Formats: sequence, C-alpha cells, structure tokens
Amino acid sequence: MHKNHQDLRLLPVHFKKVAFGIFILSVLFIVLTISKVIPVDKDIVKTISKTGFLVSLLLLALTKNKIEDELTSRIRLKAFSSSFVFGVAYVIVVPFVSLLFKDGFLSDKGVTEVLIAMFLFYFIIFYSMLKNR
Amino acid sequence: MKNTIKIERAIKNMTQESLAIEIGVSRQTINSIEKNRYIPSIVLALKISKVFEKSVNEIFELEEED
Repeated sequence: MHKNHQDLRLLPVHFKKVAFGIFILSVLFIVLTISKVIPVDKDIVKTISKTGFLVSLLLLALTKNKIEDELTSRIRLKAFSSSFVFGVAYVIVVPFVSLLFKDGFLSDKGVTEVLIAMFLFYFIIFYSMLKNR
Repeated sequence: MKNTIKIERAIKNMTQESLAIEIGVSRQTINSIEKNRYIPSIVLALKISKVFEKSVNEIFELEEED
C-alpha cells in the first residue's frame, strides 16, 4: 500500500521488541536494587525506572501493528484523543479524590504517574476497539 | 452508505482474507466495511472497485441518512 499524507508517521514493527526490552530492563533494575545486588540511591532508582517505563510505553504507542491500515490509524487516533481527555479529567478529579482521603495514597501523583495512566488508558481503548472493529 | 462488496466477493469467489491481501488491509477492515461499520477512504474504495472491475458508484451507494 502506498503512503499518503494522511498516514501517521509511526515506527517500524521491530520497535515493539525494543520497547519490551526497555520495560524488562526497568523491572530488572528495580528487582536488583530491592534485592540489594546493585547498591543505588532510592531516588535514582525511582527516576531511572519511571523514565524506562515511560520510554517503553511511548515506543509501544508509536509503533506500527503488523497490519497497519487506515482503520487501525483511525482507531489509533480515537484512542489518542480519548487518552488525552482521560488525562485532563484525571488531573482535575484526583485532587478532589485525595481531599476525600485526607492526603491519602492519591495525593502525590506526579507528571509521570499521570502520563503512565494516560498510556495505560490509551492501550485499553486501542486494543478493545481493535478487537471489536 | 451501503455496499455490495459481499455480493461481488461471492461472484468472484473471493474470501475476505484474499480481498484484504489484494488491497493491503486487514481482514477485519474488510469485515467492518461489509457490515457498514466503517466507511473506507476514496483510495481504498477505488482499490476495491478496481479488484471487482466496476466503478465505485456500482459498489458503494449513498443512503437516505447520508
């Protein structure tokens, strides 16, 4: 199929392997530091693992499927827009929820957590729509 | 918008899979078009019409609500 200007500029399929590799490395890094095989500061571990998760999720979101046609692109765009709305709603709602819990477990949500939640929402929407197309 | 892809496929003795391969999309996309869940782009409609050697208007038809 020839490319046209409406095509999304996505990464080739093999980037999925790269994304999963980074994800596994991030998990492995956390496991090794928790088990004290690698003695690293807790904040450094947190930053590196968060970055690793974000990069892997971004790569997964921007990588083509095996068969990427115009319906897949349309579903992808719908999922992207839904996850954006979800992200905004999440940022609006979470402070009120944390008020209910009196600065409980939901009070310290940073940018990374919001982005990870957005990516997870994107994957749920994308794959459920892809299944029911 | 309705279409006659299913009928044209039957005439040509083609499966959804073989049509999908010929025009470079997934089988599910052909299924969605046949069930009127997805309206294809002009490029895809032209490719489908080329496979069945008919004009786009003969395969795709507007309905009252369109």
